[in-house]
Amino acid sequence: MTRILSRAARPCLRRLSLEATPVRGAFALGSHNFSTSEAQHASPGLRSVPEGVPLPIDVVPATKPPSARPIDTRKSQLIRTYTSLLRTTPLILFFQHSNLTAVEWAAVRRELKKALEGVAPIVPAPGAEPVDLSPLVQLQVLRTNMLNVALKLVEFYNPEVAAASKATKRTTKGPIVHDLSEAAYEQVKNVEIPPNSAYAQIEPLMVGPLAGLIIPAVSPAHVAAALSVLAPVPGKFPAPSRKKNPGYYDPTFQNGLAKLVLIGGRIEGKVFDQAGVQWVGGIEGGLDGLRAQLVAILQGAGLGITSTLEGGSRSLWLALEGRKGQLEEEAKGESKGEEPASA
Amino acid sequence: MITKFMTEVTAKFNPFSTCAKPARLFLTFLPPNVRANGTTVHTSLLPRNSPESSSLKVKFKDGKEMDFNCSKTNIKSLIEEVDRHSRQLQKAADLSE
Repeated sequence: MTRILSRAARPCLRRLSLEATPVRGAFALGSHNFSTSEAQHASPGLRSVPEGVPLPIDVVPATKPPSARPIDTRKSQLIRTYTSLLRTTPLILFFQHSNLTAVEWAAVRRELKKALEGVAPIVPAPGAEPVDLSPLVQLQVLRTNMLNVALKLVEFYNPEVAAASKATKRTTKGPIVHDLSEAAYEQVKNVEIPPNSAYAQIEPLMVGPLAGLIIPAVSPAHVAAALSVLAPVPGKFPAPSRKKNPGYYDPTFQNGLAKLVLIGGRIEGKVFDQAGVQWVGGIEGGLDGLRAQLVAILQGAGLGITSTLEGGSRSLWLALEGRKGQLEEEAKGESKGEEPASA
Repeated sequence: MITKFMTEVTAKFNPFSTCAKPARLFLTFLPPNVRANGTTVHTSLLPRNSPESSSLKVKFKDGKEMDFNCSKTNIKSLIEEVDRHSRQLQKAADLSE
């Protein structure tokens, strides 16, 4: 436990040690008269700045030292993580988890892993190497409010607009337009949320404790396997039988399962409810299956069109042929009528 | 929240409507071992477009049933209401001991 803590704290310590120098410099500048540092120790670059000139904005004020919180649970880091997650991951299923104990989480993750191991690796593009997604699928507890902010950022924040605006702060390296910047904050705060946007749809889900099942590609087979464990539907996504997987009927897991509720999903930026998620899980043969269905539909349409188009010419041909026959018969009749006359 | 005297909790909500909030939060207020302690918890989800509002039903050991329409209450008043009856039961149980 202490080892984990110390490992978590290491980046902070490193950061503190890195920032020790500018902090002292800023302090020396801020409290000019009370500074205990001697003239030769204070940094000459900051000393030479005349009073009244605004400080460069990337200076760390002495009154606001860097956080000592473990780096991976800081709010800023969570927002960074979640925005990048939302931008890169096409498929996230949201579960409400109500007071699962650690043992139950372990059991749920174990069963999920077991179910996903049976799924065949997907082929990302025709001719490419198959990728085994199973070890990449994660069931993660998410911080709801931070996720809410990240969802807003992903949908409504446009860094290019912010970079073009004059109010955005700039450094020598360019405008500050990252997700944690003041520009992002202002833009997202002032946005009026359109009622048909994905955020407006998903916003009511962001209540209470949330966990996300993160699948790094849209793979209906993986969704189906996960649903059969985490939200089984008899008939469609049946739970594994007692004989096949006795661990599934372990009371710890069943207790944990009762506390997990699938509430929705975000698939390729669109918001799906439980039925929608089940529909995605039920697509036979994955994306290839969908493509095959589409091709079949298009082929059917093509056949229909050709037969309709052909139909017109065919009936014309039939009519003409009929007329031809008629004319020939008439001509025969006439020649028959003429023959006795000439004879 | 006192959950000792509840025998059945039934929550029904549509997660895509804002009135699901009290029902969902009520579920998170139940302690982790509530099922092992003899309370049955049923959760059912309404489809996304259903106009029905979320509801919560709580049955107590003395047979009292409480039915809440979640669009009109918030989680605070829900818990207050449930706890008021639980405290009465607690008092009766303490006296009979």
